[in-house]
Amino acid sequence: MRPLSLALLLAAAAALGLTATFMAVTQSRGMDAVHSGAWTGWPRSGTTQADPYARAAFARSGELPIELADGLLFLATKDNGGAPLDGRCDIRIVGQLPQARVWTLTVMDEDGRLIANDAHRYGFTSNEVVFRPDGAVDVALSPKAQAGNWLPTGGRARVKVALRLYDAPFSFSSATGESSALPSVQTERCP
Amino acid sequence: MSVLDFLSPVRRGRLLPRTARPQPLRRLRRAWDRLKAALPRQVLLPAAILVVLAGIVHLVTILAMPILAQNTAFHRLSQLAPANQMTLLPDATPADMTLPMTDPAFVTAVCLYDLRARPLRLRVPASEDYTSVSFYTARGVAFYALNDQAAGRVIELDLLSPAQRAALPEDEEITAADRLVVESPSERGIALIRAYARYPDLRPQIRRQLEAANCAPSN
Repeated sequence: MRPLSLALLLAAAAALGLTATFMAVTQSRGMDAVHSGAWTGWPRSGTTQADPYARAAFARSGELPIELADGLLFLATKDNGGAPLDGRCDIRIVGQLPQARVWTLTVMDEDGRLIANDAHRYGFTSNEVVFRPDGAVDVALSPKAQAGNWLPTGGRARVKVALRLYDAPFSFSSATGESSALPSVQTERCP
Repeated sequence: MSVLDFLSPVRRGRLLPRTARPQPLRRLRRAWDRLKAALPRQVLLPAAILVVLAGIVHLVTILAMPILAQNTAFHRLSQLAPANQMTLLPDATPADMTLPMTDPAFVTAVCLYDLRARPLRLRVPASEDYTSVSFYTARGVAFYALNDQAAGRVIELDLLSPAQRAALPEDEEITAADRLVVESPSERGIALIRAYARYPDLRPQIRRQLEAANCAPSN
């Protein structure tokens, strides 16, 4: 092989490998993703068993993942139908939550920043939210004020929702039945 | 399928349920055979070398990222928190978050520890609500956490490096005393203290309570 083509080959390999790394650290949070409806969780990212992709992604972003003994994060970037969450639409999150001492639901923009609004409302905690009589939650994400549990989305084209369950008794009960499913995320109306 | 079905094997330290692996492999193999038939050797060999080299570059950069990254949580916190001292972080706002993906419902304090000289003693009076302490190595790997329900009204523990832990006499009074000993896999790292504020107007009160928390080198 001639030196020129060898140099070209090496440069192409470096570019390809670095592109793959960039994609991995910006898109992924580890390889142990578990899915439940619209939600994705990475239970091992907050343990010493975190895989190299999770470690690389957190080192780059500067995030400290929640320790698994502390809590567990679930992210939703799409609704149950698979459509990306659009902050200009009315989105509803409805359903029962797994047993946990505390949970929080937070809306963020695409880059994970909180969305500024006059009410200074960025999410709900399990103490703030108004439950339905059957114990389910019903949260409305919308750019315009809604009755009930309203989270402003500021009309962002893309939003993501974080559900964090704290002190959830995952370790003790394997399958406690239907109450362990996560709420559904539905896009209702788009302008 | 529910979330818990997935989580129970993780907690017991086993692997997650295996997904169907052979399927994509077989497909890859078939694609490879087709490629070999379609392309001459002069193209195929450099292409194979390219893929292998790119794979090596990818794996090396992924593995090196935690060591080389300049914007890790430890770097960010070092800007505003001195070592072995409790520092309350500013509240997360849309304009500014000290660490990305911080839960805005929590009041957060950090203690960047350095165990090279001495072990660290940490004392956190729990607020009325959920309070937790989690530990991370300087490279951001979480290795231990406990909350107020597991620890009682005051979370009190000693953080030791592996060498300091090994030097600790087995049957010392320390183990008998009501103090928790935690071993840190690294000499430097982050203790993250988080206290839950169930309503935003409770934040000032919880901040004041968290001010009573402290961490300092012990004896």
